[in-house]
Amino acid sequence: MNDIIAEIDRAAAAAESRAASAASGADVEAIRIDYLGRNGLFPALSRRMGEIPAEQRKATGAAFNGGRMKIQAAIDAALERLSAGSAEKDAIDLTLPGRRSAAGRIHPISRMADECAEVFRRMGFVAVDGPEIEDIYHNFDALNTPMDHPSRDPQDTFYFPDGRILRSQTSPVQIRVMETHTPPVRIVAPGRVFRRDTPDATHGMNFHQIEGLYVDKNVSMADLKSVLQRFACEMFGPDVKIRLRPHFFPFTEPSVEYDFSCVVCGGKGCNVCKNSGWIEIAGAGMVDPAVFKAVGYDPEVWSGFAFGLGIERLAMLKHRIPDLRLLYENDIRFLKQF
Amino acid sequence: MNISKKWLSDYVAVTCDDATLCHKLTMAGIEVEKVESTSKIPAGVIAAKIVSRDVHPNSDHLSVCQVFNGKETIQIVCGAPNCDAGRIVPLAQIGTVFSTPEGEFKIKKSKLRGVESNGMMCSEEELGIGTDNSGLMILDDSIAPGTPFEALYPGDTFMELEVTPNRPDWLSVWGIARDVSCLLGTEAKLPQISITESTDAPRADLVTVEASDLCHRYIGRVIRDVKVGPSPAWLVERLESIGLRSINNIVDVTNFVLMELGQPLHAFDLDKLEEGRVVARRASAGEKIVTLDGKELTLDENCLVIADAKKPMALAGIMGGEFSGVTGETVNVLLESAVFQPSNIRATSRRLGISSDSSYRFERGVDYDMAELASIRAVQLILEVAGGRLDGKALDINTGRPREAVIPCCFENIRNRIGSGVTNARIEEIFRTLHLKVDNVTAEGCVVTAPLFRRDLLREADLVEEIARIDGLDKIPEIAVGGKCCHPLAEDAWLPLQKLRHLAAGLGFYECVHYSIGSVANFLSDSRFEESDLVKLDNPLSPEMSVMRPSLLGGLLGAVERNIARGNRNLALFELDRCFCANDKKFPEERNELAFILTGLRHPERFSAELKETFDFYDLKGAIESLFELLNITNYRFALLENDSRFRAGHACAVVLEGKTAGAFGELNKKFTSNWRTTYPVFAAQIEVAALLQAASRGVAKYKAAPQYPATSRDIAFVAPASLACGDIIDFIRRKKLQDLESVQLFDIFEDDALKAKQQKSLAFSLTFRNSERTLKDNEVNAAVEKLRAALAGELKVELR
Repeated sequence: MNDIIAEIDRAAAAAESRAASAASGADVEAIRIDYLGRNGLFPALSRRMGEIPAEQRKATGAAFNGGRMKIQAAIDAALERLSAGSAEKDAIDLTLPGRRSAAGRIHPISRMADECAEVFRRMGFVAVDGPEIEDIYHNFDALNTPMDHPSRDPQDTFYFPDGRILRSQTSPVQIRVMETHTPPVRIVAPGRVFRRDTPDATHGMNFHQIEGLYVDKNVSMADLKSVLQRFACEMFGPDVKIRLRPHFFPFTEPSVEYDFSCVVCGGKGCNVCKNSGWIEIAGAGMVDPAVFKAVGYDPEVWSGFAFGLGIERLAMLKHRIPDLRLLYENDIRFLKQF
Repeated sequence: MNISKKWLSDYVAVTCDDATLCHKLTMAGIEVEKVESTSKIPAGVIAAKIVSRDVHPNSDHLSVCQVFNGKETIQIVCGAPNCDAGRIVPLAQIGTVFSTPEGEFKIKKSKLRGVESNGMMCSEEELGIGTDNSGLMILDDSIAPGTPFEALYPGDTFMELEVTPNRPDWLSVWGIARDVSCLLGTEAKLPQISITESTDAPRADLVTVEASDLCHRYIGRVIRDVKVGPSPAWLVERLESIGLRSINNIVDVTNFVLMELGQPLHAFDLDKLEEGRVVARRASAGEKIVTLDGKELTLDENCLVIADAKKPMALAGIMGGEFSGVTGETVNVLLESAVFQPSNIRATSRRLGISSDSSYRFERGVDYDMAELASIRAVQLILEVAGGRLDGKALDINTGRPREAVIPCCFENIRNRIGSGVTNARIEEIFRTLHLKVDNVTAEGCVVTAPLFRRDLLREADLVEEIARIDGLDKIPEIAVGGKCCHPLAEDAWLPLQKLRHLAAGLGFYECVHYSIGSVANFLSDSRFEESDLVKLDNPLSPEMSVMRPSLLGGLLGAVERNIARGNRNLALFELDRCFCANDKKFPEERNELAFILTGLRHPERFSAELKETFDFYDLKGAIESLFELLNITNYRFALLENDSRFRAGHACAVVLEGKTAGAFGELNKKFTSNWRTTYPVFAAQIEVAALLQAASRGVAKYKAAPQYPATSRDIAFVAPASLACGDIIDFIRRKKLQDLESVQLFDIFEDDALKAKQQKSLAFSLTFRNSERTLKDNEVNAAVEKLRAALAGELKVELR
């Protein structure tokens, strides 16, 4: 026991007693200044530590820290006691609306296109772009479309006086990429396409597709199926299954249509899937050798798959939007939902 | 393509139930779009025996019968006159549901005039089997009570198939049977098709083919002394089972063979043909024909017609002429079985807007070999159902049998392309069951010869599809997805747009997407463009949808007006999308624009004073400034925009990015908004995306150390002429290049009535000084401020405070 320890004990007792009787925040602050403040007792004591014989230093240090903590605890307790009394007086209405910052939204079409592009980017695809005013060669000829194919008809496709068209599909982007890149090629092409349809619940003058193309050595239908299966799971959840059905497109051979197990009922059957358990999604297939020839790829060396997806269709499925036209009305009450 | 199961079963044993058949067809590429049972007899109807009949105690026309249903005897009240004891009749048991045009009705246990009845005995009409409703349908005595009625009167199954354009061979019952045989592993067989050929030579000019480029084969046969009349029941039933109407026995036979074998036929009334002969020729320009359905068509030399010596009697492959066909008076028939050029038939059919089951098949391509078999089949059936005799041998005019495609294929290639382990033996088996000819089989591959009904098979890739399809696409294994990177991500054209959209949304704007086709009037609301700048469609849907949008303004104006009309007055919208311009002096043909709209309350969800705040010019300006800040764009300025009728005069700025005009924003001209049900001003902005992205691409943020020495601030306040712009004052201060001046910020602006009367305003700025090397001394800063005050008073003529 030395003088300093005795002084610490006295000071701690005095501070505790003052704190217990403090009547205001100012009283408490005065205690803090007297004992713990820059010019208070404890910093002064600390400067005297040098006077203490070495063998007493440990005990003195412990007393010093203990005393300081006691005083701090007494100050905290006093503040707590004082604030409890005034809580009611200071209370705010916690239920008033928060001051929100303005938050906009991405349109469900763009959002779905973004999500698709993201999923495919994770699989190594890069999203590319092409012109919407397209020539017949890229939209039809190079895609092995027969000269008298109905899709070339002005009934179905928008023409310009110079003979060009509004692209009827995103597939011409495939051609443009293959014309300018040597394989391997791994792209998706999201974008707007045009069909000469009068707008109704499931048709519009334009809609959006995302096209996929992968060309490399030894690409197989198993690669195609697996990429589509992965996409289905990423987009609609791990339990979604896919099903390929044979179909026909001029630019792929073999061609398939693919279905997802119904994302509404899980395949049990409901009115969305017309009780079939499956929802038709889009077309796909292995790139037709004639398409490779058109872009100067050797079909004996390279193989590849291509697929298409309808963005609106996916968005409508995902958000259960019943009518395509809602997507193009841009009612703010609609836009705020997604 | 419609088909019925009964008809299909004539050629192949269908050894599975309907659901399995439909699934297998769909999974083999023949999508079953609709399937329905044609049986109208509801489940629950059985054969029953009337054990006894008594008079109803309370009715003079009802009987009370005891009826044995195979298990027990139950009481049924019946109103039919012929419910005699001992008879076997149909009984609808309790729970049976009848579908009638008036709705469903269910047989329940009931009381009829106080007597309990446990079911209903039925007439032919009630069961939909016949038209007799005079009494109960009486069944054969040998039928055991309790036998379900479906077993006695099995219905047919009707299927509607979607046939892809590459498979015209599926446009016949026989063609479908061929694939069903492959799918079910049962044999497909045609019925016996044979006739006793006449030995007489046909009349040499019976058929002339002048346009052999459009008519590749024409087989004519003459049958004399036919008796035109109703068709036998089996023929009517087959046709009706796929939704065709019976007309007369001759026409029915041609339709039957069309559906059976896929070969369209036409039966001419020989006596109505001028000179009793036909010519396949091009029509002369302006030549007319009235078709069977009564339409008069004007033809040109692109149309192939089947004419007699004088005039067209049929539009070849599409439809017969009004007077060419077989009628009740017909005695002698010329039967046509032909192969026409597919694209010519399609073109004519499209141009004239007329199509038929016949043109549908010709335009997809019919089987050269089948033309002959079908002709024989039709003659066989005509002789059977209408009598008559064959007059002379067939006259077969043709350009020669096309060559069959010979396709060498490699088994390993097929496996590689599919990605499955299908064996050589299975590949060969599939080819053979598809009726393809397989030769030169080795361990590596084989040579496949495609018959003429499979003109779609030309290359190895086409054979890959056959194997994938028949072996089953579900057998393709799922493998790990390799994430191979073939392109640098910098090539990603979508990513920058995606990022801009997210920034715009983050600033509080909601994205719109509009059709990019619209009307001239709407799009010219953007006064930067005139009509000649618009990209016009050649074949628009309507005048309202005839041009490509030159900018996003027109579409957004529509959206704002629509929203306001619906009571949505608080709007923060943006759009980022493609616009089009025909004038390359103004813009490239295609470019992306970014546009914003702001109107209404700034904080509709807040309360008190904040609730009353409305969006103003500076909200939009701030949004654009924030966007630039987020994109690290610093090289920009806003300049007063004059003479732009999109905006209210004096309330609009041009956006200048890196020295070039790249957009504009401001309050919209009242001419757009005056009719809208809103009192709030509407603000709009438009920015060229290419310029924006280019400016953003330079703005990679570089690290700068935070200042180490404290700043010193001084405020400066003065009264200035109202016309003196804040920006000009700040520019003035900056030009003075005060030592260590770090920033100038406006912190107050004040105008009261007294000031306004003098056309003045009071402004206060805060000046921040800082030196990066040391703490500034008060007297240094004061000296700088004094210098500035003197300059403001002297040069800008402001009244310092």
